[in-house]
Amino acid sequence: MTSFVQDVGGEGKYPTIRYQRYLPRKGPSGAVLFAGLLSVIGFGMYHHIQSRKELRELRRERIWSRLHLVPLLQAELDRDIYRREQGMKAREAEIMKDVPGWQPGKSVYHTDRYIRPMVPLVLPEED
Amino acid sequence: MGYFPGYDHLPHKEWVDSTPPPDNVKDVPEVGATSAVLTSASFALGAHCQKYNDDFMACKSENDDPAHCLQEGARVTRCSIDLMTKLREKCRTELTKHWNCLELNNHELFYCRQEEAPLNQCIFQNFGYKKEIPGAPKDEVPVFEKKSRYFGNARYTF
Repeated sequence: MTSFVQDVGGEGKYPTIRYQRYLPRKGPSGAVLFAGLLSVIGFGMYHHIQSRKELRELRRERIWSRLHLVPLLQAELDRDIYRREQGMKAREAEIMKDVPGWQPGKSVYHTDRYIRPMVPLVLPEED
Repeated sequence: MGYFPGYDHLPHKEWVDSTPPPDNVKDVPEVGATSAVLTSASFALGAHCQKYNDDFMACKSENDDPAHCLQEGARVTRCSIDLMTKLREKCRTELTKHWNCLELNNHELFYCRQEEAPLNQCIFQNFGYKKEIPGAPKDEVPVFEKKSRYFGNARYTF
């Protein structure tokens, strides 16, 4: 057996090969980004939900401010419709006075229930 | 009066039925308030005339005929006139400010919170009616008393 020395570079002849990627760290980590995203979304969603709740209450207020007025407006309207119906009845009686057995203002429907007239306004003939 | 589509068979110039009111409703007065004033006073009206309003609406649900509930309707109108007269005496400036604000703001109540607070205060002091919205959550501040708000003329939203 002969001893020999393998012909390789000695110390410092060949530099070690860098096989790892060496990139500088840029910006915050993924976890931080994710947490930041969640917090932004949470802030927005909180105020969105709160505003929807407020809008719901505003609608409730608007609806009730109208509902409190319904009887008042309906009463006035009813009086006006009653006046018009009485006028129409009188006109009908005047027109149909020659027809025996005619009941002016009688409902054309076979029911006791009140049914609003299909023609909203029957006016007297113009002179 | 403009053009009414579908009413060419009734070519009247003036769409006014000149029938005088029948005798049983002849003496009933009209409220004569415009929509902004009524909106402004609506919650006070609901509190002041609740008995008559409920009576009238119960009558209406019983029978839809306009001739059926004339007496109840007259009571509702008289009660409303009574409240409007009292409001005019007691809270005239507050009411005027509030309904003028409503007129300028599309009749939206949430634009006029600044004017509404003195009106509510005046109504509560003189009549004892506290503004309450039925069905609103009990544990929260009422929407018309919120300090920070999202809608209306809020100075600070958050």
